[in-house]
Amino acid sequence: MSGTAGVVLAGGRSSRMGTPKAALEWHGSTLLRRTVGILARVTDGPVVVVRAPGQDLPPLPPATEVVDDPQEGLGPVQGLAAGLAAVADRAEVAFVSSTDMPFLHPAFVRRVLRAAQDGADVGLPVARGYPQPLAASYRVTLAPVAAKLVAEERLRPAFLFEQCAVDRLDEAALRADPVLAALDPGLDSVVNVNEPADYQAARARPAPEVTIQRFGPLADGHRGPEQVLAATVAGAADAAGLALDAHVVAALNGDQITRDGETPLAAGDSVFFLSADAGG
Amino acid sequence: MTAGGYFGRALVVDVGAGTARTLPLPDELLRAYIGGAGLGAWLMHRLGPPGVDPLAPAAPLAFVFSPLVGTPLTTSAKFAVVAKSPLTGMLNDALSSSQFAIAGKLTGHDAIVMHGACERPSVLLVDAGGARVTDAADLGGLPAAEAETRLRERLGKGWRVAAIGPAGERGVRYATISHDGRHAGRGGLGAVMGAKRIKAIAVRAGTKVASAHPEAVLGAARDLRERSFGPATAKYRELGTLANLLAFNAISTLPTRNFQAATFAEAPRLAAEDLAEMRRVARNSCASCTIGCEHIYSARGGKTMRVEYENVFALGPMCGVSDPDAVLGASARCDELGLDTISAGGTIAWAMECAERGLIDAPWLRFGDADALLRALDEIGERRGLGELLAEGSRRAAERVGGGSAAFAPHVKGMEMPGYEPRTLQAMALGLAVNARGADHNRSGAYEADLSGEHDRLAGGEAHVAAAIETEDRAAAMDSLILCKFLRGVFTDPFTEWAALLSAVTGWDMDGAELRRTARRIVLAKRVFNIREGWQPGDDWLPERLLSEPLQLGSGRVAALTPERLRGMIDGYYAARGLDESGRPDPADLPDLQLDNVVAR
Repeated sequence: MSGTAGVVLAGGRSSRMGTPKAALEWHGSTLLRRTVGILARVTDGPVVVVRAPGQDLPPLPPATEVVDDPQEGLGPVQGLAAGLAAVADRAEVAFVSSTDMPFLHPAFVRRVLRAAQDGADVGLPVARGYPQPLAASYRVTLAPVAAKLVAEERLRPAFLFEQCAVDRLDEAALRADPVLAALDPGLDSVVNVNEPADYQAARARPAPEVTIQRFGPLADGHRGPEQVLAATVAGAADAAGLALDAHVVAALNGDQITRDGETPLAAGDSVFFLSADAGG
Repeated sequence: MTAGGYFGRALVVDVGAGTARTLPLPDELLRAYIGGAGLGAWLMHRLGPPGVDPLAPAAPLAFVFSPLVGTPLTTSAKFAVVAKSPLTGMLNDALSSSQFAIAGKLTGHDAIVMHGACERPSVLLVDAGGARVTDAADLGGLPAAEAETRLRERLGKGWRVAAIGPAGERGVRYATISHDGRHAGRGGLGAVMGAKRIKAIAVRAGTKVASAHPEAVLGAARDLRERSFGPATAKYRELGTLANLLAFNAISTLPTRNFQAATFAEAPRLAAEDLAEMRRVARNSCASCTIGCEHIYSARGGKTMRVEYENVFALGPMCGVSDPDAVLGASARCDELGLDTISAGGTIAWAMECAERGLIDAPWLRFGDADALLRALDEIGERRGLGELLAEGSRRAAERVGGGSAAFAPHVKGMEMPGYEPRTLQAMALGLAVNARGADHNRSGAYEADLSGEHDRLAGGEAHVAAAIETEDRAAAMDSLILCKFLRGVFTDPFTEWAALLSAVTGWDMDGAELRRTARRIVLAKRVFNIREGWQPGDDWLPERLLSEPLQLGSGRVAALTPERLRGMIDGYYAARGLDESGRPDPADLPDLQLDNVVAR
């Protein structure tokens, strides 16, 4: 989607989880890595992680940008202000996400981004009974508005929504998108993990079902597409019996080429494994 | 003293007068241009009259060998054929392989150059005794392979032949020269040879040349041989280049119906994965090659042919044809006629679109019609009917037809485009636009960057410029050494490793940095030649269709290559290459080209 960016707020204290949520293991990767990867797939601009000052983060793709909250512990509106400001010169709208939504689906991100692209200041999902300000889209022009709220110590997202045009996307509006309805019918995108039991239950779920196909000499008797369960490209490669080495690349949904095994997958994705040498 | 691997001379033959002379090639020059495409570029500067018509007697046609030819290094039995192209009007070098390279070099020359024109169809013979021209009336009209066989039977043991087919004799602007079924395919060099009324050149070894450090060369050859059996060459060994077809289709990179689309619904019918099982009858290799990339398929009626991705793309999806027998049959027909399959397929695809739009009166010519494809090939090869127009290539044909057909003529600088969709491979897009030869994937190789996963292939920018320059430099080096590009994946530090190979053969103390400078010199020398021959900045561009018709991908993203984006990449390429804003070199860089007064004309 053009003129779009991703912002991941990773600076929360994770007090209920008891351990930093950003670094929680997720199918061979981390929750933060997954969230960053999902946003990178959908947006065409930068992906920025906002962290607490000096916070350690797990490894991230080289292109990921990191900015610090000015102060620790002031909540998501401060993170929102920092994140939107960081991308304001390179995007018009941004999807802002927390780091603790392990089932965030690209189709959900696209649908919510479209609300802001279509003219709203904020595309705010209302799903599973609650507004979801940390799974929403925002115009980058809201950065100074958010910063002013922080200066005034008005730290709830609702204060921001009072000052701008918000397109509230209820479940019916979200499911009206046929792609989203097909790939995330339960709107699991907004499921978040706050406590260890939440995380364990989420982690115990099977990896998403994706389609793999091998091409050329990699096919080695395996013709046509196959369904496997895989949360990352490395997982899909394992299922295909392949190593993602110098001679193999993966094409995600026939589009993005990658050798990064931690690239996250979501339900409905396809992963094509090709010979890295395309000489012809 | 001449370096190892060289004779230090070229043979220059006036085929009309039947005379020959030796052109000394000093060591300093050989070190600056190496051989193959590089030395060929220098020879064209030196021997080609500025502004000469490529089909005129005065236009030189060079067969250029390299210091690695005749060594045990795998894939080293290659030669370059170099001339000013009748298709593009620019410098053109085409590579071919196998025994002709070895026998040709061991006539005692680093290059054999012909100019002039015979009065009657003739054959040029070169061996240790010199050069002579003999009658070839009995070979006229024969496919190159048949001419080659007859000539070898006539001449006897030890002779190797490179010949043209009927298309070359009739001056089709994309006619090929072939040896043992391997075509120096692109750019119409067969027409250059045909204009000289030379049906074939036959060479016979008569001497030897030694490497400077034979033990080191042998050790390197053993190492390279081992590496050539590894995963880097698996694709070529197991399925050949046709493995690209289904993969490219899956990632919206398979040009279809004259670049109207980038996926072909019927692609599975032409997939190597299945066709190989049903139709492959043999696997061959060139002399001195351990990879064995040649996969021989059979078509209905018993014909066999070597199948490559470019043949199948150009005669299949590009023309909307999906019947494997038709595509294989068309490929075989191109071999018989001596036609470049990429230019033939591209020109015919353009004509199909013109016919469908009513710009050409040819109701029989439609996308997807296999009979029409074969008829068009025959008419091109014989220069009759519509073939008279199509034999000129899509650029000239579009100039004659008009009606806006130039916007979808699939060429760069007059050379038809290969099977790499520029809108979804934007580093490749740059490589195709700026390359001296025209739309050629081999002289660029920038698709490697697009498919590396390191850049977004739909968002051409600075990183794509750097990548395209790197692959172009590597291609220039490999095409001059000469080593087959299918070997490139075995090298981890290419310039350093190639310099070591070259040093072992020649005795030079060359390092990777010098070889990289040499590669850049070769790239610049080609550009300078083209400028001399009338290149204009507008020639570094892509067809309008590719810049105005984005592609919707199944992922939801749009593959758009705007004029602004292409302009930005080209400007970046010029800056990085040290060219000015119009793509011309800094005069301070010209002395390094060792072209002396040639450039000042």
